[in-house]
Amino acid sequence: MSRTRPQSVAQEPRSAAAPALVLDTRRLRSLYLDLLGRPPFAAERDLWLGRGARELLDALLGSDAFWRHWFDEQLYYFMLIDNFRPEGEGVEAIAAGLSAGKLSVRDALHRIALLPSFDLRNPGADTFVTVVMEQLVGLTVQVARRELEIGKAAYDGRPGLFLGANASSQADVVRVAAQHKDSMRHFVAREYERVLGEPMERRALAAAARELHKDPRRYLDVLRGWLLSDGYAARLERGKELSNRLFVRALFVDLLGREPSDDEAETLRGALDGLGDSRPLRAVVVRMLLDSGRVPLPEKGAIADPTQWIAGEFRRLLGREAGPDELKEFVTVFHEPDCVPALIVQVLLADPAYHRY
Amino acid sequence: MKQHIRRRDFLRQAALVGGLAPSLLASGALALPRRALAPLVPGRKTKHVVLIAFSGGVRSRETFGTPDNVPSMLALAKEGVSFPRLKTSNLGHFGASMSIFTGISEPRGIRDNQRGPDPTVFEYLRKDLGLAQGEVWVTTSGGAQQTNYSYGLHPEYGARYGATILDGDGIFNAKFKTLLDEFGRPKPASEREAALVERLRRGISDGGRETGDEREALARVEKYILDELTRGTTGLSGANAGDAKALRLARNLLTIFKPRVVGVVLQNADVAHTSFNAYSEVVRRNDAAIGELMAAIRADDELRDSTAVFVLPEFGRDHDLNSRRGLDHGDGSDDLNYVHGVAWGPDFKRGRVVEDELRTIDVTPTICSLFGAEAKLAKGDVLRGLFA
Repeated sequence: MSRTRPQSVAQEPRSAAAPALVLDTRRLRSLYLDLLGRPPFAAERDLWLGRGARELLDALLGSDAFWRHWFDEQLYYFMLIDNFRPEGEGVEAIAAGLSAGKLSVRDALHRIALLPSFDLRNPGADTFVTVVMEQLVGLTVQVARRELEIGKAAYDGRPGLFLGANASSQADVVRVAAQHKDSMRHFVAREYERVLGEPMERRALAAAARELHKDPRRYLDVLRGWLLSDGYAARLERGKELSNRLFVRALFVDLLGREPSDDEAETLRGALDGLGDSRPLRAVVVRMLLDSGRVPLPEKGAIADPTQWIAGEFRRLLGREAGPDELKEFVTVFHEPDCVPALIVQVLLADPAYHRY
Repeated sequence: MKQHIRRRDFLRQAALVGGLAPSLLASGALALPRRALAPLVPGRKTKHVVLIAFSGGVRSRETFGTPDNVPSMLALAKEGVSFPRLKTSNLGHFGASMSIFTGISEPRGIRDNQRGPDPTVFEYLRKDLGLAQGEVWVTTSGGAQQTNYSYGLHPEYGARYGATILDGDGIFNAKFKTLLDEFGRPKPASEREAALVERLRRGISDGGRETGDEREALARVEKYILDELTRGTTGLSGANAGDAKALRLARNLLTIFKPRVVGVVLQNADVAHTSFNAYSEVVRRNDAAIGELMAAIRADDELRDSTAVFVLPEFGRDHDLNSRRGLDHGDGSDDLNYVHGVAWGPDFKRGRVVEDELRTIDVTPTICSLFGAEAKLAKGDVLRGLFA
């Protein structure tokens, strides 16, 4: 994938000048979560804090880990996977193709809709064509009934002009939808909202959609522009809800120093997604890890300077400095005989600030 | 179901699990839903409502058209009111089920994973009647998407009036239980630890944290989940495993907490796309699980004469089998567009069949009316011919 600076709608704004783009704890954590679906490991924090955001984007955008995260987000969007992750040659080939630069994002979306898992998840002409129209093109089928009927006929092998192109098979329905001009518009709109946490302005959306429809391989350039924009800085200011998937991955990295396995991640995300308000189960998962004996926290007696340790935990988990009153109260409680370091960490992980980034 | 824990014990344990301060316990701020609830409308007997969306696409042919499939629903109809011509909103499972809960035909995408714009029956009831969060629950079987039924995005309603919603199969599955067992269950906090946690919580300066009431509600859900993992729900299997879990949770919630409202959303009947036989089996098994729920209600002194139950599919299925000898949903036939619903309760007529064409979106205004609330934005009407 191209790493050159874009001369396009994705161009970085002039106001995003160098001083604002130095990586502090918050920006570093957010960029890692947005791009790799996890916070940085300790060594990565040490490596990148204080350096430039552009340099970090050069390293992360287009990496294997980036594409794997991106692909998982797309699978979830298309299939709302519950306790299973599609596996097999087709799935791995898509992720590998993206990493190798052999597939564009449009190719990848097209192939996701051709996966056997997608077919199984959307059985029958009505469901399949409806989901393709809704998820790939962003159409509301209730106001596009005629196209739905043509698509269903094509799915069953009867030729027709579906979304303005000839189609006479299930594969044609997917191909026509994936290549439709509104497909990239829909993709850009939902990607912008996923990363920036708000809808994209109409004219900017139209321009970015045109650019990606023409050349979908420019996706990384467009994304880079978003991440260096004032809009992303504003999004950092207001914060964004940590999805259940990101929460699980963040928690494993922050407590265990490792990523969860696919099984661990999917099982826990599936359970958390099973609650309208996942806070009670998030609390269970936090305490499950803290009580497991696997979290490498220091013994209370080994913490020579509790003030420094607590301040470090505030920075690491909440992405901010602890206030003087906070430090005073935490240190006082720390010295209580029944207080252990895990209790401090438990409270910080339960704070709403940990669940936003 | 036999109740193994006393409410007082449950309350105390929930507070410790959630790390709440003993002072909150003493203050009474952690009150569970009241015991021996009074009817909300003078002259009516109904204190509790169970609304079962028998979703997944279920034709009347396989329910009341095949009596052997649904003996429990037949029993309900015999003692309640039957609605054989309920017009549905055929907008995909998500939208059609959402329509039942909002009283508005909802054009939602099949894989849409967003909350709707309109208030749900749960929000109307909680806002109008001042019901606590713990008095309105929903159990589901369709994963992340169905948790969107708990509340909509209408500015006058929304999250603060939402239902507590649990997806049975998402949480109470073998993989999650195994993972919990591998890492080890969280240990209950001692009272001293809980007090320290409370001090630390208060020591964090910025706002936005939960109130005492919210924390109590969260702690109660946390405790309930941990308890439920030991009750056998996780082990339910078979063609309707997800639905069976949703119905089992509803039964347990109803008998433990005796909330005002329990919604249940089923989904497994959608296996019909690929297998008519499996679909029929789901209908039979779900009917049996509804029978177990009814048995629990009938066996409970408080619930027996004060609970109303509604059961209805969100829509039916096609008239003819597809090429896989399954049933899709998209032919626009009467089999798809009309379903057979049933309502049972102390304020309803008995053994009545209402032949008029009514609508699935009439259920929300009816439940609101039953409790003296108003479904202000709903487009449906109160079901005619229901009340005694």
